[in-house]
Amino acid sequence: MNATQDPTAQAPELTPRLDERIRAALQTRTAMAVILAGLLALIVVLAIVQDVSAGRILSLTVWGIMLGGVIGLGSIGLTLCYGVLKFPNFSHGAMVTLGAYVTFAVMQALPQGEVLRPFSFGWEFLVALIVSMPVVGVVAIGIDRVMYRRLRQRNASLVLFAMASLAMAFFLRSIIYLVWGSDFRFYYEGRANPALDLPFGLRVQADQFFILGLAIVLVIAVYLLLERTKMGKAMRATANNPELAQVRGINTERVVAWTWLMGGALAAAGGAMYGLASQLRPEMGFWLLLPMFAAVIMGSIGNPRGALAGALIIGVAQQVSTAFLNPAYGPGVAFILMVLTLLIRPQGLFGGTE
Amino acid sequence: MDQALVAKSVFLAVPLLLLGLKLVPLRWALRIPVALVGAFVLALIISNLLPSGKLSYLVSFSIMAGIYAILTLGLNTQWGFTGHLNFGIAGFFAVGAFTSALFTTAAPTGVMAQYTQQAFGFEAPFLIGILAAAIVSGFVAFLIAIPVLRLRMDFLAIATIGIAEIIRLIFQNERWLANGPQPLRGIPRPLHCLFDEPSCAPGPLATLLQPLEPRDYIYFYLCVVTVLLALTYLLVETATRSPWGRVLRAVRDEEQSAAMNGKNITSFRIQSFVVGAAVMGLGGGLYAHYAVTIDYSHFNPLFATFIVWVMLMLGGSGNNKGAILGAFIIWGVWSGTAFLTGMIEPTLAQISQDLPARSAYLRWLLVAILLAGIVLYRPQGLIAEEKVVSRFLAKTGIGRGRRKQAREEEAETAS
Amino acid sequence: MPLLKVENITCGYGDMEVLRELSVEVAEGEIVSIIGPNGAGKSTLMKAVFGLLHPWQGAIHFEGRDISRLEPYQIVETGMCYVPQVANVFTQLTVEENLEMGAFVLKDGDIGARKEKIFELFPRLKERRRQAAGKMSGGERQMVAMGSALMLDPKLILLDEPSAGLAPKMVDHIFERIVRINETGLAIMMVEQNATQSLRMAHRGYVLANGENRFEGTGQALLNDPDVGRLYLGG
Repeated sequence: MNATQDPTAQAPELTPRLDERIRAALQTRTAMAVILAGLLALIVVLAIVQDVSAGRILSLTVWGIMLGGVIGLGSIGLTLCYGVLKFPNFSHGAMVTLGAYVTFAVMQALPQGEVLRPFSFGWEFLVALIVSMPVVGVVAIGIDRVMYRRLRQRNASLVLFAMASLAMAFFLRSIIYLVWGSDFRFYYEGRANPALDLPFGLRVQADQFFILGLAIVLVIAVYLLLERTKMGKAMRATANNPELAQVRGINTERVVAWTWLMGGALAAAGGAMYGLASQLRPEMGFWLLLPMFAAVIMGSIGNPRGALAGALIIGVAQQVSTAFLNPAYGPGVAFILMVLTLLIRPQGLFGGTE
Repeated sequence: MDQALVAKSVFLAVPLLLLGLKLVPLRWALRIPVALVGAFVLALIISNLLPSGKLSYLVSFSIMAGIYAILTLGLNTQWGFTGHLNFGIAGFFAVGAFTSALFTTAAPTGVMAQYTQQAFGFEAPFLIGILAAAIVSGFVAFLIAIPVLRLRMDFLAIATIGIAEIIRLIFQNERWLANGPQPLRGIPRPLHCLFDEPSCAPGPLATLLQPLEPRDYIYFYLCVVTVLLALTYLLVETATRSPWGRVLRAVRDEEQSAAMNGKNITSFRIQSFVVGAAVMGLGGGLYAHYAVTIDYSHFNPLFATFIVWVMLMLGGSGNNKGAILGAFIIWGVWSGTAFLTGMIEPTLAQISQDLPARSAYLRWLLVAILLAGIVLYRPQGLIAEEKVVSRFLAKTGIGRGRRKQAREEEAETAS
Repeated sequence: MPLLKVENITCGYGDMEVLRELSVEVAEGEIVSIIGPNGAGKSTLMKAVFGLLHPWQGAIHFEGRDISRLEPYQIVETGMCYVPQVANVFTQLTVEENLEMGAFVLKDGDIGARKEKIFELFPRLKERRRQAAGKMSGGERQMVAMGSALMLDPKLILLDEPSAGLAPKMVDHIFERIVRINETGLAIMMVEQNATQSLRMAHRGYVLANGENRFEGTGQALLNDPDVGRLYLGG
């Protein structure tokens, strides 16, 4: 696999050491970035070959960036939990769904206000979003108290954490089904959401800009929190070396609680955005789970900026590939990107080499 | 005595006989006749005591539990003995089911071809079908194993959950392959003609089958499933006790200290992953021939994976007997929750009108809580007192793990 | 009253006993060096004192207070700090952030002045304050680790093999810093592989073997003891 990426690797007179060197070169960050860029270019070329107009490809790219924003919101939370708690949280998708539905429930309780043109939503959606974020965060903390903390205290193996998160995924999902049923729901049933007419034949809805804008704002907020605040630094320190964090007097349980709060809140925001862009379904978070994990691994586990970068790449790849591929295979595109990352550089784009 | 009951008892005696051969604590010379007589007597008692409806329920229950037990044995090969975290069981289950279906059905022609599309149809016999199911499923596992198995075990979990999802997407969207979103119908049941027209059976068998109706076919299929379950059990048990199994355990235990040559480890890890997936494929094949009609929605990526894990966790990973026991218990719990939600339906209706229609999800909720409970309170499974149980958990858990860590740390101090 | 008093502790991992009825004392302002062969339980003793392990029997008193049931983050507040042997810096954090994490339990206002004090002690850290600790040399990392531990101005500091893996010149430099730190009034308990050198600078020393206390005395006395010399100092 690695060898086929590099034409020089086919030369038969290669000494093993040169081979090793090529392999090492392929595993650098630059090489990985080049390969990913090449893959995106390949997808675009495939679309052009299929006679897809440039305007449509551009639109798809822009939509892909929006989708990347949604995936990014989920994956930032996922990567923080993965980094600090050291296990893949399979219930993160369910938290995304929960966020979407809690937003829905809060909106039901609020009076419907005027539409904030050019967007398709009114202020009640924004209020509901702001309410649902901490709610899901607190749910995440609650689950941690009941399940994961006990496992931590017992020094349980990663497998038990993974199993516990699978159980929690099912737990949350069945609660969502019980409360809201399996039918589709819409934040605004039947409300028209016309696309804006932009130059270059771009057709993008204002809501999509809102989604991307919110993703960027939240990422900047997360970034500032991690770099500038004491709790943020403690989170990074705990993710980096949990034992030393304890030795330095950091109350790691508090760090963990903050991590869940942030992870849950961001997941909720991602869910509400996803629901706004399409519709609400109990499986919506599960569909995002694979792209989210792909983004987390691509952007290096524990690295929020990396997760957003990975999410944008995956979002664009998923959308543009719909030009020639059944859109249902979106998760498949994410999966291929993930396997490629694992093959070339398992530590991801932003991981160190130590 | 009712002739039909006698015939049913003969079929019921087969699984009981297998159970007896395993459990009766006697020398083989005595064990076989005792088990034989005991099984038949017990079968007669059961079939006479239970009304016919309950009896068929018990049989169809046992068939499904048996199929899940095979899946659980497959998972045990991967996880219990090698430490692979496979979260994509549903994928291999589906591959097995569709493979066997495609191999044993006939490719539709004429008008039928408008309604049903499938890539091919060999009209192969049942045994070829389930063999193909195992082989294809193992092959899919092999393809996945190459890039993923050399990595950390949490990556394998993520990757396999993705594979299960993609397999489902393929079967859902590719009409040409196995009729896409439409169900694939008419998967043949092996030797079904015995029950349709007993004349197709040879002499004495025909007399036995005479009083039975086509719907009593499940009694025969129970025998098929239990015999294959027993064979799988023997295979997996022999394999894990063989030198091959010892190497697997050594690989599993020594991996971190990297005491062995890297290539060997990978090769052995791939082998066990492939064997486990093949066993799961076999389970899928058995399911297809039982269900007759299958479609993608039968293989909900989370559900099948989730319930098989619950079964193995409950039974005790690393223990094949526990795996089978866990499968039967959990399938029992799952089936039992159906009665439970049926019973509390009036109460649910009082809470909200929508709830009774959603009571299926209450069953999910209960099983989710059950898994959470196992993880928290009994991670070593039910049969913990046996030494062979959960060797892997013992290693990663508190006791030995800490000790090893302590030793390593002291060694570090030394260097 | 000694600053730290470890009384007859028995302790280990899981069901494996590593330390048996071990007693150690550190007085105020003292350097105590713990030496012994591999697997003697030196690192385990450090962990037990710092609350990373809890003793099965016996007690640990710090300034007269029983700390044997406290967690590390509580022990830090009593005025004791610990520098582990390996992985003792946050590799992905900058030097400055590492120091700030050392003072996590403090209010923000005091941190700046403390940081300046550490930079005085290790000027090299000031030059590299914005560098990720993972990209520094072994000696510099040791400085970061010790600096982070000193951020809280502790009364006692536990050093687990401060010289491990360092070049000889750097070892001298680090030992010289340790003496200087001690001269400011801090008590130091250190585990060292580099037995002769560490006993030379220590006020007192303990020789551990198989989790038990074999010899104790002043650093000079242990150095002169023929049994200690033959068995543990390599002749």
